[in-house]
Amino acid sequence: MRLTRLRLLLPALLVAALAVALSSCGGGGDNTTGGEESAGIPSEFKAPTAAPDNAAEGGTLTVLNEGDIDYMDPGAAYYQVTYELTLATQRSLMGWPPDATQPEPDLADGQPQVSDDGKTITFKIRSGVKYSPPVDREVKSQDVKYAIERSLLSGVPNGYTRAYLADIEGFAQAEQQLKQDKTTAPEISGIETPDDQTLVINLTRSSSVPVIQALSLPVSAPVPEEYAKQYDAESPSTYGQYVTFTGPYMVQNDCDIKVDTADHTAEAQNSDCSGKLTGYKPGKEIELVRNPNWDGEATGDYRPAYLDAVTVQEGFADPTSASQKILTGDSQVSGDFPPSKTIVQEVATGNKYTPDQMVAVPSGGNRYIALNVTKPPFDDIDVRKAVIANSDRTALRNTRGGELFGPVATHFIPPLIPGFEEAGGIQGPDLDFVKNPDGDPAVAKKYMEKAGFKSGKCEGSDCDVTMVGDDAPPGFDTATVFKNQLEELGFSVDFQPVSHDIMYTKFCSVPAQEPNVCPNVGWIKDFNDPQSILQVPFSGDSINPSNNSNWPQLDDPAINKAISSAVTITDEKQRAEAWAKIDDQVTALAPAVPWVWDNDVLVRSEDVNGVANLFNGEWDLAYTSVSK
Amino acid sequence: MLRYIVRRVLWGIALLFLVSAVIFLIFYVFPNADPAKLRAGRQANPQVIASIREQLGLSDPIWQQFLRYMTQVFTPFDWFGASLHGGTGPLNFGNSFQSNTPVKEIILDRLPATALLVAGAVVFWLLMGLPTGIISAIKRRTLLDRVTMVTSLAFISAPVFWLGLVALYLFADDVGLIHIFPGQASYLDADSFLAKCWSLFLPWLVLAAATAAIYARYLRSSMIDVMSEDYIRTARAKGVGESSVIMRHGVRSAITPIVTLLGLDIGLLLAGNAILTESVFNIPGVGHEIVTAIHRSDLPLIQGIVLFGAFFIVIFNLIVDIAYAYLDPRVRYQ
Repeated sequence: MRLTRLRLLLPALLVAALAVALSSCGGGGDNTTGGEESAGIPSEFKAPTAAPDNAAEGGTLTVLNEGDIDYMDPGAAYYQVTYELTLATQRSLMGWPPDATQPEPDLADGQPQVSDDGKTITFKIRSGVKYSPPVDREVKSQDVKYAIERSLLSGVPNGYTRAYLADIEGFAQAEQQLKQDKTTAPEISGIETPDDQTLVINLTRSSSVPVIQALSLPVSAPVPEEYAKQYDAESPSTYGQYVTFTGPYMVQNDCDIKVDTADHTAEAQNSDCSGKLTGYKPGKEIELVRNPNWDGEATGDYRPAYLDAVTVQEGFADPTSASQKILTGDSQVSGDFPPSKTIVQEVATGNKYTPDQMVAVPSGGNRYIALNVTKPPFDDIDVRKAVIANSDRTALRNTRGGELFGPVATHFIPPLIPGFEEAGGIQGPDLDFVKNPDGDPAVAKKYMEKAGFKSGKCEGSDCDVTMVGDDAPPGFDTATVFKNQLEELGFSVDFQPVSHDIMYTKFCSVPAQEPNVCPNVGWIKDFNDPQSILQVPFSGDSINPSNNSNWPQLDDPAINKAISSAVTITDEKQRAEAWAKIDDQVTALAPAVPWVWDNDVLVRSEDVNGVANLFNGEWDLAYTSVSK
Repeated sequence: MLRYIVRRVLWGIALLFLVSAVIFLIFYVFPNADPAKLRAGRQANPQVIASIREQLGLSDPIWQQFLRYMTQVFTPFDWFGASLHGGTGPLNFGNSFQSNTPVKEIILDRLPATALLVAGAVVFWLLMGLPTGIISAIKRRTLLDRVTMVTSLAFISAPVFWLGLVALYLFADDVGLIHIFPGQASYLDADSFLAKCWSLFLPWLVLAAATAAIYARYLRSSMIDVMSEDYIRTARAKGVGESSVIMRHGVRSAITPIVTLLGLDIGLLLAGNAILTESVFNIPGVGHEIVTAIHRSDLPLIQGIVLFGAFFIVIFNLIVDIAYAYLDPRVRYQ
């Protein structure tokens, strides 16, 4: 073949090779090393989860974000992008090194001791861990107790304490206390601190597994009561403007921390300070500097903390130009936005940028289209099965950007989460209506006929359905593709695009207002346990009159019972199997169209030794370094 | 003149009151995301949401919320529960629902970027637009005139967003074909005033392009009318030099509509109309902030920015009207 023709064909060949590589991936693999293969990520785009041997200290990294974090207050933080900061700035009881698929002790000195009946968990707190200026003192067990208790205040809007920690003894009584006094953190009697280094948690039932997992989230990052109380007394709490830190980095505050770039140490310049965060300008910028009071070696911290500083710049509205800026620039990485399809192709083909500047990480999340099972026509399981069978889920997935953005989902537990393989892995359960990712009109027709529609298509007034979805891409694109697919099956779809926040707060998360179809929903794990994927979205007990996340409003007694029982299983293998069975049961009831297990696609500048964290699917700021 | 100014200031305050009332109505009448539910997060139970709604003062009647807000902005009094929800005033615009940061702090943090963007753009569009308009008027129907008018039409038609992206892809020193000017987010990286100015060079040109073109066309049209007046002919007949005729007699009369436009444009841009330029170049200004606030139904932030914007529009219109009296001797205020 002539060289010029070969040059022209080479990009196409590379893209084709990428497609073949991606399509040949799937199935098998364990949760640690094989996980990324089961997430459809070719090896050349696999994210490094360890720092290189020649990683050097120093330098400033810039993270480019489109939006802001949700809350600086660790008691309220509940967003993967915010975890990028909290993993580097806070030491929770349990933590997530980049390659961990289960939480490891961080503030805790060793794995917690769990009693034989699974109802008592004992943590030992490491000595020598100190708060950043101006607090400066050593962390005590009472600080972790206060951190958990204050998360019940409505001024600290924590979204998961009630879901995972309600089994702690005294929790219900603490909630009652709040009715009398809304600005003082209530006492949870089941959390005991017999001494400064010991924390004991007593449970009403043997749900130690989800409790320990939940304590890997920022809610267990210690908060000094004597310092924070004054801010928590305000309504809402203003502690978020005065946060103190225990990790290798902290947000710059009025103590004016100066970093010595020669020896990579830091010191507060102003001792007469209040701790007010000067480095956090909401929607604009977050400035992280080294925490002068952090001593990783002495306190057994697994984080190497190479960088001297990190700046998070926000407001990048166009992902294409932002990605180009990163790829052509220095010491930059992407934050909360994926690169556009154009950029993905340019990087993958190697024409303009080096392919290893782009990586993909399983996010631990899924996306699905919820069908409201409480009203016609989707109160009929055969109609729901027909809709799923007819759906070209590959086309839906491609609205997100293509194969690198995740494999087509066949059930709900994503790759890397225990129970994924047990639930069928990539191939999924043996159900005819989910077998074909490109859609199977024949199977769809079969189920429509079974539902009483002899023509194989929906007929009658029940087939006029409402759909409320995103008004901006890619959500809008996904909704539009699905609308067309529904119309192929005879439905008449009234699609109302609204802003993302209105979609949730006014429609999809309000059962009384919920339309027939919510096309832009999904769930991301709270931690690496299948309970955090299945319980809230599919248990009838979690249906709320507002802020509801069980979007199909599935309330099946058998599934509810299975969930309630699986929560208390402590054996790892049995737990994975039990939740995989629940996943099968949910999938078989067809309450939603699962269409992708999301991957996070990240880009970096050439001089950045990026290390990704498998827990939140973002760059790990405490492991990433810049080349000198 | 003093009486005129005092009257205009009082009308301005009344206008600010009216603008605030309209914003409140829009927020409550038109569909928006519920800020209490957004703050409460996933799976919050109704009690938590109700408690947050109470904390944010949203469970009070609308009229009480509105009067409380006006009290906090304009007075030092603790009326309508001001101290319970954000504190007393004056000039207290409350706290952002999302970040709980004082709105005044957010606006004052964002304002310098917008002010510098607008100031530089004003200089550029006056430097580009005025001479172009004058020369086009003087050299009417020549090739130069036609070329400048077609070019100005092109710049008026090109959307700012598109122009900004094209400018970045051509001239930005990070992603551009020709590496000349600082690119996206360079304002955030700039440490000194001069560095900030240099980082805004491309945004200045982009923001100024369309406005300069509009001003050139306006001034050309106005100059053509003025230059055909009798007093211009008289000045020439009296032997006044042509450049004096143009500048002292022609431009001085022709420029009054431009002054009106200038006041309006500056006021509107400071109020957030530079949003597209700020978004493309990632300049952390007021326009950028209000879009985020609208998406998040962050009422205090929306109110605060709109009030600031209305204030600037009122002030700049007043400045423009005063300037008229000096520019045009025919204008006198009772």
